[in-house]
Amino acid sequence: MTRSSLQMYTALEKTSRVMSMLFLLLMAFTFLLPLYWMVTGSFKLQTVTMAVPPEFFPSNPTLENWQKLFTGPWPVWRWVLNSVAVSLLTVALVLLISSLTGYGFGKKKFPGSNFLFFLLLSTMFLPNQVMLIPLFLMVRGLHLTDSTFGLYFAMAMPMVASPFGVFLIKQFCSSIPDELIDAARIDGATEWAIYSRIVLPLLKPALAALSIFTFNQAWNYFMWHMVLASDKYQYTIPVGASFIARTPAFGKTITDIGLSMAGGTFGAFFMIVFFIAFQQYFIKGITIGAVKG
Amino acid sequence: MQNARAFAQAVWKGRSGYLFIAPGYLAFIAFLLAPLLFAISLSFYDASFNVSAREYVGLKQFIQLGNDPVFKRALLNTIQYTLVIVPATIALSLLIALLIDPLGQGLQSFFRGAFYLPGVAGGVILSVVWLWIFNPTYGLLNFILGLFGIEPVLWLSEAPQSFWAVSAVVLTFTVGQPIILFLAGLAGIPQDILDAAVVDGANGIQKTIYVQLPLLRPVLLFVLATQTIQVFQLWEVIYMLTRGGPYNTSTSLVFLIYQTAFISSKYGKASAIGVVLVVIILIITFIQMRFWKDTDL
Repeated sequence: MTRSSLQMYTALEKTSRVMSMLFLLLMAFTFLLPLYWMVTGSFKLQTVTMAVPPEFFPSNPTLENWQKLFTGPWPVWRWVLNSVAVSLLTVALVLLISSLTGYGFGKKKFPGSNFLFFLLLSTMFLPNQVMLIPLFLMVRGLHLTDSTFGLYFAMAMPMVASPFGVFLIKQFCSSIPDELIDAARIDGATEWAIYSRIVLPLLKPALAALSIFTFNQAWNYFMWHMVLASDKYQYTIPVGASFIARTPAFGKTITDIGLSMAGGTFGAFFMIVFFIAFQQYFIKGITIGAVKG
Repeated sequence: MQNARAFAQAVWKGRSGYLFIAPGYLAFIAFLLAPLLFAISLSFYDASFNVSAREYVGLKQFIQLGNDPVFKRALLNTIQYTLVIVPATIALSLLIALLIDPLGQGLQSFFRGAFYLPGVAGGVILSVVWLWIFNPTYGLLNFILGLFGIEPVLWLSEAPQSFWAVSAVVLTFTVGQPIILFLAGLAGIPQDILDAAVVDGANGIQKTIYVQLPLLRPVLLFVLATQTIQVFQLWEVIYMLTRGGPYNTSTSLVFLIYQTAFISSKYGKASAIGVVLVVIILIITFIQMRFWKDTDL
């Protein structure tokens, strides 16, 4: 390569790098704009939210919407409690069930294990909205939602037997050397001790990723929460935020945009903080099982 | 006799295995398998609010679905949503991942986070703000388009825009996950293979087409499978933005299941639609598994 063509090549490389950076920034801006619009909108007066041209930055920020959100007829903190309780309960049950079942399929040999595992796995991709119809009839028949704990359990129910979780733990178990388990058995450890003292600690990274992933999914399990919640005290955050956004303000025919944005921002806040705190686990939860190595 | 004894012995030897999977398997049967089978049986019954008074109707509901314009519309729309959103998601996320890949650690995690964030907030929360952005008179989108001299558009209440509006919103939260998967896949490509391509005189685009993309094939197929199945179950954005309207032009199968079961309490008919959905998704999964077999994932 001659000197000038090398120079041209590096110049070309530089421009393409600048171009790709500009493109990425523009895309990121587009993707984040709705969230920005929602957060800033929550600090705008009703007249400002309906102004044309719109204000890109609230020139007269107001806390009015937030005040309405926290002191109005909506029990928003109750929604937070409901969301947190349902998500934590789901995570706890998924961890327990996936680690036991995944270990059983991963390290134990017993007749029928292949068939049973295949049967479980084959439901992984099935649309669970179909299962929700019988589950709803069951929950209704048993009056489960009459008590708070029953409601939480009912909301967690369709997610607790997670084929994905079992699959993940089984894969992870296969990386645990058999010698380790055999050695413990020779030393006289019971089956339960092997699982709880040796296998569980080794599964920690997989269980961490699975918890984060499950928490996020349980939090956003909108259809089921909405179907089960019979009054505003039973809503989870996404259900509550959707009701605020779709219900006309008191005595009016249109929705209160500022209040809707405050509701949306409030709903997004918890999950976004959660994401920022546990970003690495989110990424692990997505890539684990899909990308080798 | 001998065999039965050997089998019984094997079962007895494996008893701890059964005990370990028992709690999970019981939950699996109670909350997934039994409901699925019950839903399939419900699809042969005319069952409404009082389910115990259901009446066996055989295949009648499936035949009726074949003549039901709303169902046909929902099925067609669902296929259309998938054909629009899945390729758009894959193309966009692949492009973004390829552009992020060469960046430094800090910028990588910034962009990864930025594109994944909308998905974390969830489709429902995002729809809350999109309802406002799409507003014909004081929405942001029509204002921006107005700067270019474009007349205000009724995004949510007129076809075919409502279909495209829903698709666009869904796209904003489906790309995050594939970007992360593609980035992980790209990071797994050994550096010496890439160096060898450069030594052989490949430029940036050639390197991508002939080296990176073929090696990303397993990830690409995984993304294709999961995205197709996800988009096939699309409904929450429809519920929030258009309620399937106008005149069912933006409805989907799952939104129709939701309406039929939980608004109209027609559990039998909703189950029949659900069975159709299950069959379609099984077919998609089966086809994609065949593709999978060719790769060594």
